[in-house]
Amino acid sequence: MTDQSENIFGNLEELEVKLSRTKSWGGIETENSYGPADTSDADYAEKLGDPGTFPFTRGAYPKMYRSRMWTLRNIVGYGAPEDTRDGLEKVLASGGTGINIVVDPLTTQSIDPDHPSFGPEVGLEGCSLPTANDIDRLLDGVDLSKIDTAWHWAAMAYPMVAAVHVKRGQPLETLQGSSMPDMLQETLSGWGERLVPTVLGHKTTVDEIEYSVQNSPRWALGMPQAYDLRERGLTPAGEIALGMAFINKTLEDLVERGLHVDQIAPSLAWVSTSDIDFFEEVAKFRALRRFWATTMKDRFGAQDVRSMRLRVACHTSGKSLVYKQPLNNLTRTAIEGFAALCGGVQSLEVCTFDEPVGVPTHEARDLAIRQQQILANEVGAARVADPLGGSWYVEALTDAVETEAKAMLDQIEKIGLLKAISDGTIEQMMDDHNLKIQRELDDGERIVVGGNRFMPEEEPAPQRFTFDRTNTENHIRRFIALKGSRDQDRWRDALRTVHSVAKSGGNPIGPMIDAFVADASVGEVWGSIRVAHGLSYDPYDTLEAPLDYAD
Amino acid sequence: MGELADSILAGDRRAAGRLISQAERRDPQAVEDLGILYRHGGHARTIGITGPPGAGKSTVADALITRFRKLGQTVAIIAVDPSSPISSGAVLGDRVRMMRHCDDEGVLVRSMATRGALGGLSAATGDAITVFDAMGFDIIIIETVGVGQSETDIVGHSEAVILLQTALGGDGVQAIKAGVLEIADLIVVNKKSTSGSDKMARFLRESLHDRPMRADGWDVPVLLTEASEDIGIDKLTDTLVQRFYHNSTQDRVSVTRRRQVAAHLTALADVEVRSLTKRLVAGDATPEAWQAVLERRSDPWTLSAQLFEKLR
Amino acid sequence: MQTETEIQSGGGQPVRCLLGMLGTDVHSKGIRTIAQLLRDAGIEVIYLGEHNSVKGMASAAVDEDADLVGLSFSSAAYVTYTRQLVEEMKRIGAQDIPIMLGGIIHPDDHAELREMGVRGIFGAGSTTEEIVEFVRSMGRSQ
Ligand code: B12
Ligand SMILES: Nc1nc2c(ncn2[C@@H]2O[C@H](COP(=O)(O)OP(=O)(O)OP(=O)(O)O)[C@@H](O)[C@H]2O)c(=O)[nH]1
Ligand SMILES: [Mg+2]
Repeated sequence: MTDQSENIFGNLEELEVKLSRTKSWGGIETENSYGPADTSDADYAEKLGDPGTFPFTRGAYPKMYRSRMWTLRNIVGYGAPEDTRDGLEKVLASGGTGINIVVDPLTTQSIDPDHPSFGPEVGLEGCSLPTANDIDRLLDGVDLSKIDTAWHWAAMAYPMVAAVHVKRGQPLETLQGSSMPDMLQETLSGWGERLVPTVLGHKTTVDEIEYSVQNSPRWALGMPQAYDLRERGLTPAGEIALGMAFINKTLEDLVERGLHVDQIAPSLAWVSTSDIDFFEEVAKFRALRRFWATTMKDRFGAQDVRSMRLRVACHTSGKSLVYKQPLNNLTRTAIEGFAALCGGVQSLEVCTFDEPVGVPTHEARDLAIRQQQILANEVGAARVADPLGGSWYVEALTDAVETEAKAMLDQIEKIGLLKAISDGTIEQMMDDHNLKIQRELDDGERIVVGGNRFMPEEEPAPQRFTFDRTNTENHIRRFIALKGSRDQDRWRDALRTVHSVAKSGGNPIGPMIDAFVADASVGEVWGSIRVAHGLSYDPYDTLEAPLDYAD
Repeated sequence: MGELADSILAGDRRAAGRLISQAERRDPQAVEDLGILYRHGGHARTIGITGPPGAGKSTVADALITRFRKLGQTVAIIAVDPSSPISSGAVLGDRVRMMRHCDDEGVLVRSMATRGALGGLSAATGDAITVFDAMGFDIIIIETVGVGQSETDIVGHSEAVILLQTALGGDGVQAIKAGVLEIADLIVVNKKSTSGSDKMARFLRESLHDRPMRADGWDVPVLLTEASEDIGIDKLTDTLVQRFYHNSTQDRVSVTRRRQVAAHLTALADVEVRSLTKRLVAGDATPEAWQAVLERRSDPWTLSAQLFEKLR
Repeated sequence: MQTETEIQSGGGQPVRCLLGMLGTDVHSKGIRTIAQLLRDAGIEVIYLGEHNSVKGMASAAVDEDADLVGLSFSSAAYVTYTRQLVEEMKRIGAQDIPIMLGGIIHPDDHAELREMGVRGIFGAGSTTEEIVEFVRSMGRSQ
């Protein structure tokens, strides 16, 4: 026997897996076990209800996946429109059931690809889509009145896709698809006051919802976009609290503009995450639907059942995935995806195992789709609605998440949402949360395999996705050429209208669509809005506005 | 020796940064260079910004930089944040609010931690002012830590102290109770869109009104700003310029100068005395006397008298 | 001469460490956490946050007399941006200020980064202890 093996056998006791904590991942303390005494005896009908009935704790639809399978998503976006098109075709060939597109960091910030400072980032981590023409190229042959396109992109997605539809000679009311108009989420998730000032961000979201529900009723709105907030640093209860704070404020403002909740809420879907704590996430989805239903009914006087019945779009947590020994992430995403389905989500995107490394390789993407197919066909995740309903533990956890969320929401609303965002209170809350987690990791109270314990020996460098940048370079040249060849008068007039409507406090979404139809770019349209709000044209203070707005 | 001073006088910002760091750590080498630079100074106008944590001091500073730059003035900022009393580390977060000026050669921001100093500034504030003054900066803005009540060192270092308040959290009442109003040459109610701001401004004006006239004859104005929206900053700038003008008569100049020298001296003396005290108290020099106290053959009063005899 | 807090922390001068991000990168949570952890380890962090220009970052390193510059990247454009910063620091005579990187840095790029002069690389899975130790070792007294 070698020394080493002697040691291993000698220390068997220490090698045993021990429970490092009894709290949930989100910090809720748990008991040894749960029983009938732990769930309150409030009326089944009032707190739970059958699936598909108020308060929808047990699911949005009576038969859940038997009547309507979840949409299997896989997000694609890299390089020029041609590159992303290629990726989309591969996903559909593997069995993906939707077109899901993510834009590059510049486009998310409404920065054009010819900005002098950010050349190396164009198309690097998403598709560069600065004009309606680029979207048209990406979706060549895709009928936007028949096929859903889902955009992982905030307020600019709707007006740009709408412009493509209009350019193709189609009426706005037939436009179908979805986007995520939540801008406050961006302010908080890293874009910051500089790129998305709280007040402007919020107004833009309200404008867009007002316009799209009235003009494109078949367009769905991923709002709130709570996924990013969770990734930035929130517990499951925090997700509900902050997301509901967004919803309450947004609906209040829309009601003030004369809309009724039943004109808006049916178009909304909650963009959520599913982290690694299986039971806590299931509880969250259930508590969330109940929270939503009662808020719509009691606070906003909703009458339409579609307003009270929350649909959830879920993307599994990226931050839960670990860089070292990345294949372990397949275990993690399987469980997270399973939690989402037990929690009754309407669409699911499972992260690829190489999420911590970079933009997914085609192989990793393929496995992510296979994973959902296994969940659907082998595991039985789709069989029965609310499979964990009635579990004493899950019901108690559902109540606990709800209670914590209520307390946090009250706290935020006491300060006032917009104020709590702009004065840094909420960011501070998220920073405190992240610091606490890091400390728990540092002292081993929280264990992550390959993160702070059970580190693998030397491993080979992980494979990373690369692609040829030629298309991107051509795409930038094409963009510059377009700026020279478009109808300059029409372009200028369109941007001036965007500016003057925004400046007068009106809703600029219609004029924005017109400007995109006139081949204005995302940077120019958002820049005009910024100027109208007294901000610099370029948030990075490098470019000057390409036109003067004097009327 | 004197090389850093020469480089600094030639406009070398790296050298300026180094010398200030030396001053911060009380490196005896710094003294000669600072002495040379001191003889070249005396032109900069100094503005202090103080007020509770998060009142908007850095945001106001940022807005003032823009104004003064438009007036063709160069601006140096000394931004002080607290050191953690436990770790002695710090997160110096003021600069991030002024990053839009980062490409402008006419603006220089230096962040400093208090490193145990208690008056709301770094002990090397006067030294940094000396450096920037000698470099020819027209305006020097000093931002204090977010103050409570007793951190009033800023008064000596600047000829125009802006006391920032907001209508949030009852800052104003607290300020009046603590007597911080006394230190202000200008009072600014920032975040004026917050409800209660007008009321607060009125309240402050009334409290000032009840006080005797100041010796220098300056009437302390109460202004309202929304610094993050650049609202009210024009008026603030004008008032600062008036204040400078007010201070420019001969006798007032000398009053201001005396005050600044006194503040600088106090800061230097403070460090000297504190470290001397520390050394004396440490007991290395007088082990027997210490032992006597420990064994209760003597007492702390006697020991104190012995230790500080020479200082008295 | 030492002030109170220095005596408490066992002497030495606090290291001045600039922390910031370049480009359009919004992944700030790592660097925000690191800033607080470094403060708690006795470091003076000059926090620049996200969205800095290369020029602004370099001039901050000079004006603030930083002992080292720490960059956080979750964007894959880090090799290009780091090179731009290294060159700008050279241009303004600050090439001696060490640079360290954190975030998502692929092992295949380590050699190129080291060649540029990057002194420390702390990607995913680095421990707080390692990071603190490295930052301390960059202090002037050493
Ligand atoms: C959280 C997250 C987000 C959050 C960010 C919130 C925030 N404000 O931080 C949100 C949801 C907003 C987000 C958005 C996007 N993201 Co993201 N995100 C992540 C995720 C899941 C985790 C990153 C993270 O925070 N880790 C936790 C922290 C603590 O770790 P860390 O930052 O690495 O820091 C540690 C160390 O590296 C070190 N460290 C970090 N910095 C420094 C600095 C110094 C000096 C030192 C010494 C140490 C150090 O200390 C920390 C503790 O150990 C990663 C995937 C993953 N699992 O890693 C993707 C990831 C980084 N995101 C990615 C992308 C593409 C995006 C988007 C561009 C997507 C899009 N096209 O819209 C957008 C950003 C849009 C834009 N304009 O930039 C990619 C980047 C691809 C690449 N590099 O090749 C990743 C890798 C996911 C992927 N596979 O596609 N994201
Ligand atoms: N609404 C509003 N917010 C402001 C105003 N001025 C500053 N802020 C915000 O208030 C917060 C704190 O501002 P800072 O300028 O950092 O305050 P400070 O007084 O320098 O803070 P410390 O240095 O930490 O004491 C930031 O989120 C600013 O954006 C204002 O006039 N109105
Ligand atoms: Mg400040």
